[in-house]
Amino acid sequence: MWAYFKFELTQFIRNKKNIAVYVILLFLACFYAFEMAPSYKPIERVDAREIESRYLVREAFLSEFRDNPDRFSGMAGFGLAIYPEWNRLEKDRLDALNTGDYIKYSEATSGWYVYSNNFTYNSDFFSYSPGYYSHGNLYAEDDGYYGYLYSASRYKGYAEGKSELSLNVFEERTALQTVQRLLESYLPLILMIGCIFLTVDIVLKDRLNPTILKGFPISDWKKVVVKGFVALIGSIGMVLPLSIGLIFIGINYGFGDFNLPVPIYTLGEDVAIFLKGDFVNIPMGHYLLENFMLIALIFIFLISLILLSSMVIKNEFANLVVGAVFITNEVFYFKRGIGYWHEVELYPTNYVQVGQILSGYRNYIYGSSQLILNNGLIVMGISSLVLVVFIFIISKIKRYKLI
Amino acid sequence: MWKLLKTNFIIEKTSKKNIFAFLFVALFVFGLAIYMENEDVGNLVIKKTSEFQNLESAVSQFQVMDATKEGGSSEIYQNIVQQKRLVALQRAATNMNRPDMFVDTAIDLAKLRDEAFKLDGYEEVAVYLPTQTQNVLETLFYDHLKELEFPIFTDSLSFYQFLIFLFGILGSVWFVFLALFTSGIMIDDFRHTSLIKGYPIPFDQYVTAKGISTMLIIVVFILELFLCSLPLIYLRGLGDASYPIAVFDGNYEIYSIAQYIGVCLLYMFCIGIFVILLSIILNVLLKNMYLTLFVQLFLYAFPILYPRIISLLPFNPFNYMNFANLLSGKSLDLPHPVELDITFGLLSIVISIVLMGIVIKLFLTTGKLRRV
Repeated sequence: MWAYFKFELTQFIRNKKNIAVYVILLFLACFYAFEMAPSYKPIERVDAREIESRYLVREAFLSEFRDNPDRFSGMAGFGLAIYPEWNRLEKDRLDALNTGDYIKYSEATSGWYVYSNNFTYNSDFFSYSPGYYSHGNLYAEDDGYYGYLYSASRYKGYAEGKSELSLNVFEERTALQTVQRLLESYLPLILMIGCIFLTVDIVLKDRLNPTILKGFPISDWKKVVVKGFVALIGSIGMVLPLSIGLIFIGINYGFGDFNLPVPIYTLGEDVAIFLKGDFVNIPMGHYLLENFMLIALIFIFLISLILLSSMVIKNEFANLVVGAVFITNEVFYFKRGIGYWHEVELYPTNYVQVGQILSGYRNYIYGSSQLILNNGLIVMGISSLVLVVFIFIISKIKRYKLI
Repeated sequence: MWKLLKTNFIIEKTSKKNIFAFLFVALFVFGLAIYMENEDVGNLVIKKTSEFQNLESAVSQFQVMDATKEGGSSEIYQNIVQQKRLVALQRAATNMNRPDMFVDTAIDLAKLRDEAFKLDGYEEVAVYLPTQTQNVLETLFYDHLKELEFPIFTDSLSFYQFLIFLFGILGSVWFVFLALFTSGIMIDDFRHTSLIKGYPIPFDQYVTAKGISTMLIIVVFILELFLCSLPLIYLRGLGDASYPIAVFDGNYEIYSIAQYIGVCLLYMFCIGIFVILLSIILNVLLKNMYLTLFVQLFLYAFPILYPRIISLLPFNPFNYMNFANLLSGKSLDLPHPVELDITFGLLSIVISIVLMGIVIKLFLTTGKLRRV
C-alpha cells in the first residue's frame, strides 16, 4: 500500500494539469498582493478629517442652541438630546488619533459605533457610512447595521491591548486580516474549484495505461482510498502557493498576529435590540483554525463526491459538472431571511462559504442561528461518511471494475 | 464524409459528457429563473427605494443647506436634491400604478443626471449615481417608451423579458462553458485508439467531421436555452418581442428584444466556432485538455484583469467574448475608456476564425496534427 501511495503521489505531482493549478494559484495570489490589495478601500476608514467635520457641524449646532434647551422641541430637541454624547465620543476619537494613543482610540471608537448604530438603524434622519450605499445595494441598511456592530466589537477587542495596534490593523490590511476578509468572500470558492480540478482525473487517468497498474496487487477499495488521500494532501497543498502572496502582503502592511480579535455574530438566547443578535470576539488563530477544519472536511466531502462520480459515471466532464453543482447549488434556494422558516443548516451545500458561516454573516442574512461550526462539522461529516460507504459498497461489487 | 458524420452522431448521442452538459445547461436556466423569482429582480419599487437611499447618502456628503436656486448652495447639491425628489416621485408612481408619470419623471431624472456630470464636485458623489453610459442608455430607453407608448410595468419573468436577462448572464459564461466543453476535443476519442483505427478515412476528414459535430451540439445547447425557458410562457406569459432595449453597438441605439437576441445568437455562434478551432490548436500544441482549458481561460481573463490592455489592443478578439457587456457599453466606463463596436468585434472574431482555420490546415499538411 505504501508503494502504491508513493506511486500515486509522484504521478499526482508530475501531472501537468496539477502543476498548472498551482501555478495559476500562485499567479492569483501575486496578482492580489500587488494589484488588488493596494487598491482595497475599506468602508470603515480611519480618517481624522471625516471625524472632525462631523464633530464641527454638531458642535456648531450645539453652541447655537445649548444656552436655552427648553425653548426647542421636535427635531432640535432630539438633536440637543443626542448630540452631546455623540460629540464627546467623536472628540475622544479625534484626540486619541492626534496623539497616537491607539488603545484610547479603540475604546472611543467602539463606543462610537454602538452609539451611532442605535440612532442610525431604521432612522429617517441619519445614515451609515456612505460606502454601504454604493449604487444598486438593496440591503444597505442591514449591511450597515452589521458593519457598525462588527466594527464596534472589533475595536472593543483592540482596546484590550493583546496585540500590537497600527492603522493597518484598524483598516484590516495586515496579512492575517486579509486572509480573514478573503475567507469571507471568494477564497473558499477558489480553494474548492482548485480541489475539484486536482481530483477530477485522479481515477480516470488510469484508463490511459491500464497495464502498468495491473502490477500492483491491491484491491480497488484500497486504491480509491489512497487516491482520495493523495488528492486531500494535494488540495491542502494549495495553501503553499497562496501563502507566497500572503508574505508579500505581510511585507507591505505587516503580518498581524494570532491574538487579533475576530467578531462573530451570534443570535443567542437574549436577543439584542432590533431583534438581531450580537457580536462576540474570538482570537484570530482560533478563527483560522476553525476555518481550516471546516475547509478540510469540505475537501474530504468534495473528493469523495468526485471519486464516487468517477467510479459511477466515468467521465471527467461529468465530474466537473457534479462539483460545480455542489458549489453553486445555494442560488436555487438562497433568499434573505429564509433560515427563519427552513432548516438551512441541514443542507451540505450551505457550508460552501466557510468564512461567512464561521463569522456568523450567513446566520445574519439567513435569519438563522444554527449555521455554526458544530453543525457544519456534523453535516459535512455525515455526508462524507455516506459517500465513503457508497464508494466502499461499489468497489466491493465483483462485477465492478475501477478502470 | 456523410457516413463519418453519422457515425460521429451515434457516438455523441450516447456520450456521457454530452448528457451531463445538457443537464448542466438545463439546470443553469432553471436556476436563473428561480434566482430571479427569489431576488425579485426587476421590482421597480425595490429598485427605486435603493436608488433613493443612494441619493440620500450622496446628499449627506454635503452640509445641509437651502436647495432652492436662491439658497446659495452649490449646483451639484441642488441637482442631487432634485434627483432625490424625482426618484421619490417615481416610487410613488409605481405604487399608484401611474406609468405615464413614471416615464415623464424618468426622462426628467435622466436630464438632471446628464447635467450633473458637468458640474464641479461630481467625482465626490459618483459612486452613488449611475455611470454616464448607463444614463445615456436610460434616456434613450425612456424617450423611446414614451414616443411609442410601450407599457412600462412589465413582468421581468415573462418569456421575452427573461431571455434578455438570460442572455445578459450568458455573455460572461458562454465562452467559459464552451472552453470547458471543447477543451478535450482532439483528445477524448484517442483514449480508445483502437476505435479510431477502425475508420478507413483520412485524418483531415476526421478533424473536420469532429469539428462539425461539436458545433452542431453547441447549436443544440442554444436551442435548449430557449426550450428550457418555454415553461415561463405558461407560468408568466409571453411578453413582447418588440419591446425596446437600449444598447451600445458603436452608437447608442434602440433594439427590440428580438434584435438583441439575434445579435447575441450571432455572437454565440461565432464564439462557438472560435472556441472549437482554438481548442484544436491548443490540443495539438499542449497535448493536455486541462492545459488547453487553462490557457483559454487565461486569454479570456487577461483583458479583464488588466483593462488597460483593451485600449492598447482593441482588435484582440478576446475583448469581444462577453457580448452582453459589449452591448451595454461597459468598455466606455473603464478607467481608459474605449469604444468597442459590435460589428468590429464580429469582424475580429471572424478574422481569427479564418486565421486559425489556416493554421489547422497547415498543421494537417505538415503532419503536425496527428493522433494525440
